[in-house]
Amino acid sequence: MPGELPPQDKWATVPADPRVPKQHQASDVGAVAPAADVSPKKELASITVTEISLRHCLDAARAHERSGDHATALRWVFTAIDAGDDLAGWTAAAQLARRCLAHVGPLPRSARIAVLGSYTTSQLAALLPVAAARTGVAVEVYECGYGQYQQEILDPNSELYRFAPDIVVLAVHAGEARLPAVSDDPEAEVAREVARWTSLWETVTARSGARVVQHTFAVPPEVALGHLSTRVRGCRAAMLAAVNAELGRAAADRVALVDCDRLAAEVGKRRWFDARYWNRAKQAVALDCVSILARHTAAVIGAQLGVSRKCLVLDLDNTLWGGVLGEEGLAGIALGDGPIGEAFTAFQEYVLELKSKGVILAVCSKNNEADVREVFETHPNMRIKLDDIAAFSASWDDKPAQLRAIAANLGIGLDSLVFVDDNPVERDVVRQLAAGVDVIEMPVDPHAYVRALASYPYFETVALTSEDAARTAQYKARADAAKAAASATSLDDFHRDLEMVATVVPLDDVTQPRVVQLIGKTNQFNLTGRRRGDADVAALRADPAATVLCLRLADKFADHGLVGVVIAIQRGAVLDIDTWLMSCRVIGRTLEDETAAVLVAEARRRGCTLVRGRYIPTAKNGLVAELYPRLGFVRADGADDPLSEAAGGPGEPGGSTWVLDVATAKAPPGLMRVLDSEGSTVEWQGAMT
Amino acid sequence: MVVDRLQQVFREIFADETLTISDTTTAADVPNWDSLVHINLVYAIENEFGIQIEDERLASFKNVGEMQAYIEERGGRG
Repeated sequence: MPGELPPQDKWATVPADPRVPKQHQASDVGAVAPAADVSPKKELASITVTEISLRHCLDAARAHERSGDHATALRWVFTAIDAGDDLAGWTAAAQLARRCLAHVGPLPRSARIAVLGSYTTSQLAALLPVAAARTGVAVEVYECGYGQYQQEILDPNSELYRFAPDIVVLAVHAGEARLPAVSDDPEAEVAREVARWTSLWETVTARSGARVVQHTFAVPPEVALGHLSTRVRGCRAAMLAAVNAELGRAAADRVALVDCDRLAAEVGKRRWFDARYWNRAKQAVALDCVSILARHTAAVIGAQLGVSRKCLVLDLDNTLWGGVLGEEGLAGIALGDGPIGEAFTAFQEYVLELKSKGVILAVCSKNNEADVREVFETHPNMRIKLDDIAAFSASWDDKPAQLRAIAANLGIGLDSLVFVDDNPVERDVVRQLAAGVDVIEMPVDPHAYVRALASYPYFETVALTSEDAARTAQYKARADAAKAAASATSLDDFHRDLEMVATVVPLDDVTQPRVVQLIGKTNQFNLTGRRRGDADVAALRADPAATVLCLRLADKFADHGLVGVVIAIQRGAVLDIDTWLMSCRVIGRTLEDETAAVLVAEARRRGCTLVRGRYIPTAKNGLVAELYPRLGFVRADGADDPLSEAAGGPGEPGGSTWVLDVATAKAPPGLMRVLDSEGSTVEWQGAMT
Repeated sequence: MVVDRLQQVFREIFADETLTISDTTTAADVPNWDSLVHINLVYAIENEFGIQIEDERLASFKNVGEMQAYIEERGGRG
């Protein structure tokens, strides 16, 4: 058991934190060095931010913009909008972001977003671009006329459809719900209202193929029935809550909800709806809450487009437990017993909830590794166990270096990481020297840690699948396997040692959600970047010309689940690869080579003589630029290629077309067993003669 | 100074870091001062100074100077 607890007043007040160097003290005014002193190089502390607040960070962004460093300026804009909700600050941030974006490379995603509202949504439409850019999505926004959401959806010739949206945001407020104050038949009222919305979703999807992001109704706190309303299902508040719940149940793959009722409750419903501004200008969301709505709408859109953050990286001392292990020893840290210890336990428990929804956990600590491992293994109040951690980094290396090692170890980008550290100096260093990593601005008081982490919106996920829940185990297996690779004598030996088994499984009701999820979020190993949705995949199941290969991979460390998808369409004697992707957690396992062999076998089964694929470069898929030539495909761009622009095909910019002659296809390396869905080994039968 | 904070709010809401206001500035002097921006501006001013401006007064301001005088009279949060 831990011995002496630290004095309880250690965190009781919030004095100038002795760990914080002077430039971080909030009282230290003079946010930004004069522009003339600013070095455009990415060096520490050339522009000093005294406080992570909206206005201070915007000052830093402007200073970097003046120095010509638009990428850094943009990062400060994003830090700024994380730090506050103020409408004026966000308005300035939106303009600054627009200017900076014109000077930096493309964002990971782009989308055309239509905002269809039942109230004045101009502020939301104006703030969405900066909020979306924050998540990695460049957007063009179309805003429908005031309250015209229904007409725009129902009229097939409306501006909405001419705009050709990728995402339609239904920004609606509680007043728009067609529900009486009291009803004798609440079930029928609720069903009717739910049907109105789901039929709008279906119309949007059918006519434009766009995804729908629906705002739920913020149930007003003014309830004439008082507490009796809890017993009367026919009162409007109860019916609104029921409609929200039913919309959640009805939302399918192409529809996501933003839980405005929760957001309103979180900031306070008296603040969310300001009657003066409703009456003045039909603002159904108070103007200092529009930023919150934009932030969360963007987070949900980002999740739909596959740019959510994947990995939470945790500091240890004063983050997972109270005190400094190296000074206070195992028995001296605060964890579990006493108010401060309880705060750290609660924080660990919340972290584990994130893990159970699929967030990967990593540790990044400046400590002796053996000492901190001992805490995980022996401290009775540790909630997080070593098994929960997919990548464990404890050393005296600087944290940006440790973060890069963690990302490499897990096979993900720095822009998948979210860093949590109590120490503002470490946060500052990471912000400046590990660009791409999200840094959560943690409060000084550990009692507020859970709320700070819970307020971070970018771990948003599209769906909970069993693969999500097991993901940490899989990444951990990958990291363990990576360590084993360092000792194996040859790469082939390493692969054989893994005892890998790939299984080709059918596309069915069970696998389809995972297939759609993979198509939505796989960025690196993705040959075309085409985002086929649930309806597309369902259509392919019914199409005899289409083959959808779903591949699972297991090894002796872990079952990686369904990790590979190929969609191929037969066109005469050619089998065309429409989509080919693989989860980044199994890259470098030769699964792609085996997949190609399975594809060749499928081509032969269909009587095709050629397999044809396209590589369409995106911001993140450079990894597979050379895949086709490596597999023996030869370049075959030309007008006879039905995929080319000249022949009326998609003609994606920068794309190249590649073909493989089935008769001369190479045998795969054979470093894993490949099974069909019956469990029989799929043998490479040699080239067709 | 009320006038400095007012100027900062104007610059943020109009997204123009060079915007300079004076007592005699009116909506006609500032490009893009439409009804939407006006609502944002009123809201941002209320927020910045921790006050609520009555609807009748809102309609009565002839220029920035009158608005500034009103904020000072209300003892806007300093």
